[in-house]
Formats: sequence, C-alpha cells, structure tokens
Amino acid sequence: MNLNDMRAFAHDEVVDVVVVGTGAGGGPLLARLAERGLRVVALEAGPNHDPDGFTNDEVEAPRINWMSERFSGGEAPTAFGPNNSGWGVGGGTLHWGAFCPRPDIRDLHLQNEFGAGVDWPIEHAELIRYFVEVERTIGVCGPIFYPWDPEREYLEPPVDRNASADVMALGCARLGIQATDSPAAILSRDRDQEHHGRRLANQNLGTIHQGERYGSKATTANTYLPSAVSAGAEIRPDSMVHGIELDALGRVCAVVYRHRGREFRQRCAALVLAGGGVETPRLLLNTGLANSSGMVGRNFLAHGAVQVWGRFDTQIRGYRGYPSAVITEDFVRPDSVDFAGGYLLQSLGVMPLAYTTSLVRGGGLWGGELMDALDAWRYTAGIGINGECLPAEGNKLVLADEVDEWGVPRAIVTFTPGPNELALNGHATATMTRILEAAGAIDTRVIARTAHTLGTCRMSSNPEDGVVNEHGRSHDIPNLWISDNSTFPSALSANPCLTQMALSLRTADSMVS
Amino acid sequence: MTGYDATVYFIPGLGFGAASAALFAAELGHRFRVIGIDLPGHGSVPDARDGSVSALADAALAAIENAADGGPWLLAAHSMGGKVAALVAARVLSGHANVFGLAGLVLLAPSPPTPEPMGEEKHASLLSWAENGALSEAHAQEFIAQNVELSLTAAAQQDAVAQIQQTSPLAWRRWVDTGSREDISSAVGVLDLPVVVMAGENDPDLGSSVQPELLGAIYPRAHFVSLAATKHLLPYERPSRIAAEVVSLWESAVSVAPPVDPEWGRVIASARTDAEARALLARRAIADDANYTPRALSLAQLTTFRALADRLVPQPGVHRIDLAARVDADLAAGRGDGWRPFDLPDDATAYRRGLDAIAALWPSGAVEQDALIGTIIAGDLHSGVPWGTTGFRRWFEDLRNDLARTWTAHPASFARIGYDGFATSGAGITQAEQAGHAGYTSLAAGVRDPWEPATLGRVEGTQDEPE
Repeated sequence: MNLNDMRAFAHDEVVDVVVVGTGAGGGPLLARLAERGLRVVALEAGPNHDPDGFTNDEVEAPRINWMSERFSGGEAPTAFGPNNSGWGVGGGTLHWGAFCPRPDIRDLHLQNEFGAGVDWPIEHAELIRYFVEVERTIGVCGPIFYPWDPEREYLEPPVDRNASADVMALGCARLGIQATDSPAAILSRDRDQEHHGRRLANQNLGTIHQGERYGSKATTANTYLPSAVSAGAEIRPDSMVHGIELDALGRVCAVVYRHRGREFRQRCAALVLAGGGVETPRLLLNTGLANSSGMVGRNFLAHGAVQVWGRFDTQIRGYRGYPSAVITEDFVRPDSVDFAGGYLLQSLGVMPLAYTTSLVRGGGLWGGELMDALDAWRYTAGIGINGECLPAEGNKLVLADEVDEWGVPRAIVTFTPGPNELALNGHATATMTRILEAAGAIDTRVIARTAHTLGTCRMSSNPEDGVVNEHGRSHDIPNLWISDNSTFPSALSANPCLTQMALSLRTADSMVS
Repeated sequence: MTGYDATVYFIPGLGFGAASAALFAAELGHRFRVIGIDLPGHGSVPDARDGSVSALADAALAAIENAADGGPWLLAAHSMGGKVAALVAARVLSGHANVFGLAGLVLLAPSPPTPEPMGEEKHASLLSWAENGALSEAHAQEFIAQNVELSLTAAAQQDAVAQIQQTSPLAWRRWVDTGSREDISSAVGVLDLPVVVMAGENDPDLGSSVQPELLGAIYPRAHFVSLAATKHLLPYERPSRIAAEVVSLWESAVSVAPPVDPEWGRVIASARTDAEARALLARRAIADDANYTPRALSLAQLTTFRALADRLVPQPGVHRIDLAARVDADLAAGRGDGWRPFDLPDDATAYRRGLDAIAALWPSGAVEQDALIGTIIAGDLHSGVPWGTTGFRRWFEDLRNDLARTWTAHPASFARIGYDGFATSGAGITQAEQAGHAGYTSLAAGVRDPWEPATLGRVEGTQDEPE
C-alpha cells in the first residue's frame, strides 16, 4: 500500500497506542483510533507489499505468508506457512479466502446450549452493527435473500458461480438442502475505495489465496489501513516486536522491535497485540506478561476443515472463479446429533499444489494412485466445512528451545481433535458425500484438514478463566489489549475474519470511551 | 504435431547474416527447424537505434517471438551473436520476452558478456575498413583469411564475402567500438541451462583455451568443445561438427525434460502470463543436469531419494523431472514450508538422517520397495528409524509432499492436469480495467475461454469438443 506522505512519530514520543500486526485484528482498530484523533503507530513484522508484486505461482506466493518455522504436534498437527499466517502489511487478510459469513447467534453460547466449551462474554446483538459496518466498508457481496437470516441485507450482488459451486448447488437442491451464494469480501462492482483508490470488480481468478492484485478481494491494506494513514496513523513495516516494557506501576510503557537488523524502542501509553493466534501468545509467553491465569497459549482451537471431493465426467476446473461461491448454513445445528455446535459448508475450487498437498497429507496417496488423482483433479469438485472446535487440555501453544531469527523461542502447537470434533467431522463427511453423490459424482474422496489458529488468549468474564475481558483488555495489565483470533473463547462455525474485524472495531470503541 | 523435434535459432557473428547458418542447417536435416536471424545492419535489415548489445538483443528477440511456435528451441550463436545470445537468454529466462521453450545454448566462438578481448591494432584495423562505406572485397577477403585456419571452398568463400560486403558500415563500426566493449555481465547473471561452447584451438582471442575462463561462471553447465585446426569462423569451418553438437546437446542434455505442449507454450509466452510466472515456468521447464552435484545431501542420500521418488511419484517413460535433485536444491537454499513436526530437527538434517535410515532398509524389488513404503506410511516401521514411528511417518509425509509439489509445479504437469491459472494475472490493474477482464469469463463445467488450450473444454456457445 501507499505509505508515502505518512505521519511519522518519534521513538521517544509517547504515542497513544502501539498496535502490533496489521491484519483483521489490527487494521480496523488502527483506523478507528486514528479517526478518533489518537496518535497511533502500527508495527508490522513483514514488508509493505506492492500488489503488483503478488504472484499466483504457489511456490513463490508464500512471500505473503509467515514462513518462519512453527512446530506442530498432536494427532492432527496444524500445517502452518501458506495455510494460516500472513506476513506483511495486511497480515492474514493478504492470503485469506474472503469467505465472509456472520457467526450464528447460537455459536456464542455453546456452554449454555450444550454444556460444552465456554460461552462468549459478548451478546451477539452487540456485534450486528459492527458486522454491517465492516461489510459496508470492505465491500461484502451476497445473495438478495439470506435464508438463515432474512433481516440481513447485502449491498453488493453475489459474484459468479464456478463449476464446483454449480455442483454443490445442484446436489443441495436435489436433497432439499438450502444453499445460496456465499457472502464474500469480493467486489462484484468496481469501486473507488476511500483513501485507497481503485478496486476492480471480481476478475474470476481462483488465485486469491496467493495475493490478489486488482483489489477485488478486501484486505486491510486496501480498506482500513489507507483510512488509518489518511487519519494520521503511522505504519512501520519490517518491524518485529519481540519485547514489551512495563513501568514501575506494571503498565506497558514501551515496545521493543527489530527493524533491518537494528533495535528500536517505541514508547506508548497503551499497547494492542494483533499478531494472531500464534504470535500473540508467543510474545506473551516469551515476556512472561499478562498470564496470571496461566491461560496464555492454552485452549488452542482449529476449525474442522474436512473436504470431500467428487469426480465427474466433465471438466470442473474449479480453480477458475471465486473458489467458494456457494454456502449452506443448514448444518449449523444439524438434527439428531450427539455433538455440540455445527458447521458451514462451502463449495471448493483449489489450486494445483494445494490439492497435491491435500492428496498426500489428508488423503495419504502416493504412487500410481496419487498420479491418477492428480490427473482427475480437473474433473473434481469439492465441498468443505468450517466446523466448531471445543477447547481441550492438551491442545495448546508452548515455547520451544529453538529460537527464531529475532531471538524469540519458536512456538510448538499441539492439536488433537476430540470426540466432539471427530463426531462433527464424521457427520459433515457423510453430508458432503451425499451432496456430491446427489449431484452425480462418480466417486468421492475425503481429505482430512483443519484451518485457523484460535483461542490461545481467550476472552472471559472471570480473570481466572482467560487472558482478556470481553473488550479484549488484559485482566492483568490495564493498558494492554489483544485484538486477534487468540481471544476467541470458541471457534464458531463461521470463518473468523468478519467476526475479527467487528471485534476490532468494538475494542477500539471501548478503548476511546 | 510439427514434424521436427525443436527449433534452432541462429544469431550470426559480425559481418554475417541468417545465410551463414545454411551449412550446418543442411547437416541437421528435417529433425530441427533452423531459423537464422539477420541482426540490424545485416542482410537487408536496417540499422538499430544505437550500438548497444541491448538493441541487438531486442531485434533478435523480435525475430524469435515472430517465428516461435510455442515448442522447444535451442539458441545457437556465433562470435558477436554469442554476446547477444547471452542477453536474449537472460531476458527469456527472467520472463521479459513473450516466448517460452528455451532449452539450451550452442555457442560458437562466442564473444563474452564482459568486454571482448581484442588488441588495439586489430580494433583500429577493423574500424578502418568501415570508415568509407561498406567493406571492400579485399577487406572482406582479409577478414576471412584472418579468421579461418584452412581455406574455405570457393563457393563458401564467395558466399561469405558477399555477406560481409552487405553489412552496414555503421553496424560494423558500432560493434567494434561499442558493442564488443560493453560489459553486460550483470544483465546476464548466471544462466543455468544446458550449454555447449565450441571454439577453435587456433583462434587467438576467443579460442578454446580462453572460453572456459570467460564463460565458466556464467554458464555453470557449459560443456566446452575444442576444435583442432580451426580458427574463428566456425559456421564455415566446422558445420558438420556444429550439427553433431546440436544433436548431442539435444539428445543427452535437453530431451530428457518432459515436453510442454506447444499450445500451452504459446499461452505461457503470451501477455496473459505475467513476467514472473513466465520466468518461473521457463526455469522449471529446463532439463535437469545429469551430473547434478547435491548441495544439501550426500550423493548416496540423493541416490536413495531418487529411488524413493521413482516409487512415490512415478514417471514412466523417457521424460522425467529429477524431483529429488530439485528438492535437494530447495533444501540447500533453505526453502521450507513454514513448519515441521515438533520433534524433528531442521529439514536438511532430517532428510539426511531419514534417507540414511531408509538406505539401510531399502530392498531391491519394486514390490518390496512399495511394501516398505506402505509400512512407513502406516506408521508400522518400528526399528531402525530415528524419531520414533510417528516422527518417522511424519518426516516421510513431508518428503512425499515435497516430491509431489515439485512434480505438480512443472509446466508440463500443469498442461497434463489441465491448469492454466498462471495466465490470469498478466495485466496490471489499469490494463485489466481497460480490457474488462484479467481472469476467466467462462466458469462452467466443460467450457473454456477462447484463449485457453483446446484440451480444457469447448468454447462456450460452440459445439467444439476437446481433443
């Protein structure tokens, strides 16, 4: 993004807020605080990418992903790198898939409904105006009528469906499952985005996870961050925060970061950590701060993301067009099940190397079977879930002995799906298989997968139960806030980004009030 | 089908045009389509805008782009042409040309990317011949005499003289005074592709004794051929040998690479594919080096890795990608995927230990090898493995993933599995807005956009069936 003509603060000036990270948690908050007249500096570990420098080649595209190694354990080790971590101005929104459902109201209170997991200390009704605001600001498209929320209105018409979306729609129609166009943060009409400039309408590329250069996909770098800079915020790229300093009263007074090999210290009156579900707990564990509850790093959640792929006799080539153009929320609360929570379904197109990895890891294929499956890829349509995940004792993030290039111990993330996740995955797999068969699939294949990194600094009313309160404010340090996926007390069936942006605005509003 | 294996483009030396390829082209017969290029100021082509090598490279590239059929090609070049060819190759491999398929170089007494070694007297003499218009017949004869070891036939001599006399004196002076003295080595960089460099033992300035030190660092895979009783005018002195080396380069170094269908090559070459994507595909398409020296693994470990690759990502037939070598190169470059199983060491260390463990267990038959692989993947291999059964299974899954992704990323694989998404971001945002679209218009099953290869479906609104 354009960072020319940006206000610059001095290091020894006490700015009002330092924000660590410029993704879905940091971006909206930065804009809101700057617009309210606060003096704010964002520190982003990665570079300021020029969208013209994005490449859709999957080998090279990880320039927008966090590639400094994380370690994985458990029965379903999380695959990091291109799968779930952003790197650069825009953070995780650089690589996200723009699939933009709102969370279901029931998902915020699993404990109340099922006696499982924990409830959010937030009422869904408080968030609705934030969803509306975010959707309007970033440009979320969707169907005229949304079956699972008739009051909802999408201001932009849906983007074109591709062949895999057509397959899912057909299968659902034949089974009497409601399905419609997905809410997506993809423009269906050209727009002049305030403070940013021209964003083009959907170009029907299937390569949005690799960075999208025309601005059709919303990122914080083409929406909130330009507004923030216009309102006087400063963004410093290539700046990895690795230290937090407290004053004699135990309040944050500065952050320490490395920029181009040199150490810097920025003084601040408040600090917001928005580096995501891995980097925020890693920083807090390394500094030993804000963890009187012992919950930092605990309760790691990953969405179930199992996929089923069906083979047809015509070429689907789902890598064309927006990858996830059809959704159903009919299984957010499926009937007659023995698990808590539920799942969304989305149609899937997939890029060739991502599919190759799925076949190898999630499908266990090799040799002739692998080659046959690769040859069949062009005839294959997929459906995937975003499924609920309950917290578990063994699922957590801890520090390793090995340190990274900034001297910070690397993270070890352990994840094993529990009985609830396994039951949900089984139900979802059967559902997706039925849909694909109803659409005429010759055969189907299941690919095991998880997505996202949540819950590691969860919000709670009771300070013993979490790390931050409902506004994201640390229970321990009054001028420390967290605004990223680590605060989620439950996974929700919805993908996290829209919820995160809404929470980001809400946290900003509570900081200034 | 084209009927020929590949195209050979030829960039001649100073004073010569496309016609100077005739002798070796005749030896190559129908197996190769030979296209000679008249550089500016040669043949009937007007002078370039200036005396830079860059201007000559522009002209050569324009000729190649014009004649390109999307299929594989070798770039042959003589003397001055060799310097131009270096820049052409560098541009092609960095994606900055609308052409795809460069597979190797055949350099004949090439002038290097660095300033050409040329004595002051020779420099002054060559300049003087073009001071008063086109070169005289006497000077043309002298030029030939200075540059051949044994006399040419009368016919060849006559042909050569005619070409020299047709050369623009401005082009002549520009090369001697400007082009030959330019240092374009930073623009050329290192070109890692099959190259044969032929030179005469009797060539005082650009002969076989100096070529290795002039070019060794630029072309790490160069094979140097020394020609006895040969001076500088190789296209006239040694046409049969040139043809033999072209065939040898093609058969031993190039043709092992999986071919990319020419229709796909044309899409890769087109403006729909952006320069970076084209560069990546161009480099991946280049044949692997049969003499590749591993940088992260030992040769024994690489051998084990190759044997595993044959079972895990089978490539029956004569064309293959050396997947194990490519993964070794990635390991040496520190390219990873951002994570690893927590109880494993760093990627390179894990590969070394893991491959050593497999080498100790590796049976000789394919059936037994597959059984061992199945055992590892099932997590049932309990003895002789580092990191425990689960850790070893996870490392092996990383290995399988590395090999498989390397296979898929090759342009021939893209064409085989039907992926053309590399051709959807060639337009910048302004062009995309003006053109109305940078990506796909047809998204439905069984259909394609008109620019897409025919095997990907029928054009919407027509009845055409894919092949």
